[in-house]
Amino acid sequence: MSLIIKDLSARVKDGAQILNGINLEIPKGEVHAIMGPNGSGKSTLSKVLCGHPDYEVISGTAELDGQDLFAMSVDERSRAGLFLAFQYPVEVPGVTNANFMRAALQARLPKGEELDAVSFYKTMRAKMAALGMDTKFTARAVNEGFSGGEKKRNDILQMMMLEPSYAILDETDSGLDVDALRIVSDGVNAMRAPFRSFLVITHYKRLLDYIKPDVVHVLYKGRIVRTAGYEIVEHIEQNGFDFLKAEE
Amino acid sequence: MDFPQNMSMEEAFAQAEAEAKLNQALSESKARFENAVLPNRLNEDWRFGRPHKYATALAELLRSDKPSQGEAKVEHAGEAAVPVSADDDDLRRTEMLMPTIGSDALLGMHLERFGSGYALYIEEDTKKPIRIEYTTTGLFTSSTFIMVAPGVTAEVVEIHRGEGDTACMFATRNIQVAEGAKLKILHHSAHMERYMCITNIQNMGGQVVQLTRHDTHDWAREETVAEIYAPESDIQLYSSNLPRNGVLDLHTKQIHHAGGATSNLLYKNVVYEGATAIFAGNIFVAPGAHHTDAYQSNRNMLLSEKATVHSLPGLEILADKVRCSHGSASSGVDEQQLFYLLSRGIPREEAIGLLAYGFEKDVIEKYERA
Repeated sequence: MSLIIKDLSARVKDGAQILNGINLEIPKGEVHAIMGPNGSGKSTLSKVLCGHPDYEVISGTAELDGQDLFAMSVDERSRAGLFLAFQYPVEVPGVTNANFMRAALQARLPKGEELDAVSFYKTMRAKMAALGMDTKFTARAVNEGFSGGEKKRNDILQMMMLEPSYAILDETDSGLDVDALRIVSDGVNAMRAPFRSFLVITHYKRLLDYIKPDVVHVLYKGRIVRTAGYEIVEHIEQNGFDFLKAEE
Repeated sequence: MDFPQNMSMEEAFAQAEAEAKLNQALSESKARFENAVLPNRLNEDWRFGRPHKYATALAELLRSDKPSQGEAKVEHAGEAAVPVSADDDDLRRTEMLMPTIGSDALLGMHLERFGSGYALYIEEDTKKPIRIEYTTTGLFTSSTFIMVAPGVTAEVVEIHRGEGDTACMFATRNIQVAEGAKLKILHHSAHMERYMCITNIQNMGGQVVQLTRHDTHDWAREETVAEIYAPESDIQLYSSNLPRNGVLDLHTKQIHHAGGATSNLLYKNVVYEGATAIFAGNIFVAPGAHHTDAYQSNRNMLLSEKATVHSLPGLEILADKVRCSHGSASSGVDEQQLFYLLSRGIPREEAIGLLAYGFEKDVIEKYERA
């Protein structure tokens, strides 16, 4: 059981090609990290996998536990177990966090089955407490007026509520102070399990110090150019990405 | 002229002058109905509103010998509610004098059928909202009158409901709010083949907060003329609609006859495929009505390329020291917001429903908070 990406090329709709033949396999239970300089295609990869309408797949395939990911709509991918923690979580005025999560969880139930509201709120409050979030956030509009850190925590809360099989964290560390980073990382680590994988996209070692990856990939100009262990994180932290240019 | 014993000469003259004014207004009003022509393409107040289709159809029904068919109910009103009757000259006069926004001819026909509805003389704070409900399966013309006494706080809910496929209702509502009084009115109409409501608010120094919502009509037209006659008056007009088909035709006027008062309008529509929403609003500040604060905003969310919106906000300011603004914004569903909801597994239709609800929500919250 894995997320398998084969020879994936994609571009901005009617625009530049960003991904140039990505091959990646993330087996269940593993944490993979993707690092790479600005503009290398990290966020594009995450958005293409989730079906963002601004991007289009040119060629290649992606399979989620044997299912053709690109044949599914955005919401079907989520219900099939894929989750994206956004680099910039979106503000949704007028829709409360509670209603948002209820709708998302309700959509996962078989037809005719109703979500148990009492246990829903109980679970949500418990997970909010674990992330150091004020329970007042349940009644607030999704991310509206939230600080950068609060938005990131809210995304992680959603991940904890939806319990996906494959979670992509797109620069979840950006905009987080040290304490928030630790809390968010603790949340992610608590979810590590043999039946769940993570793809952690980041620029910095500090996140990977908290969420220790099993495998690290380096993305450059839309291709995976290195796959290594944690040691490459140290190397990048000290030397930057210049070694990639030297190899060109 | 007979002077009552207990009246001074001055008072008697004032009363005579008031009577003369009223008589003149009534005779002018009569002339207005006699000379009025049915709304047509040349009528600016019916721009985009397809008067040749809808106004003509409504006029035909009103002129026909089709009897009024429907029910009027009132709850929680105590002594305040009186059923209106064609013999009540005061109420009849009030309706004769009410302004329209391009629909004098239709109002004239409504007057001919005058006789269903309630007058609320509210002299004590309402504990529960007074609920007026008009229901029809055919043609129904209703008249509501709401008078709120000085310093009284009142809440009214007015429901207009059609049953069956060919329900048609033409409603009028006259609201008079005295100094220091406060009226909240929630007006909901639904399920009509043809629906029209003309409202006149006269504010003498109190507060009126009105929320309208028109659901699932084939054609609906709202005309609301909100008039301020005294300083310290406040009028808040809100509307929240989700037309799914047909035409929703909304017209408003905020008229500041007196200065030192405020009015605020926010009309929001979520327009589904095949539906047309029209908003035409005007703020009028009379000469000398200084220190007026008046705002008007119309916002629309279009859920399909086949949805149509016409938005015509307007200002007419004849005083110097005023703060007025008007604005209009129409757009489709925010793609980033939609993607965010979809990415959490919420099916598309439900996600759009959540966004539409979110878009309308602040209108309802503003009403609830007022």
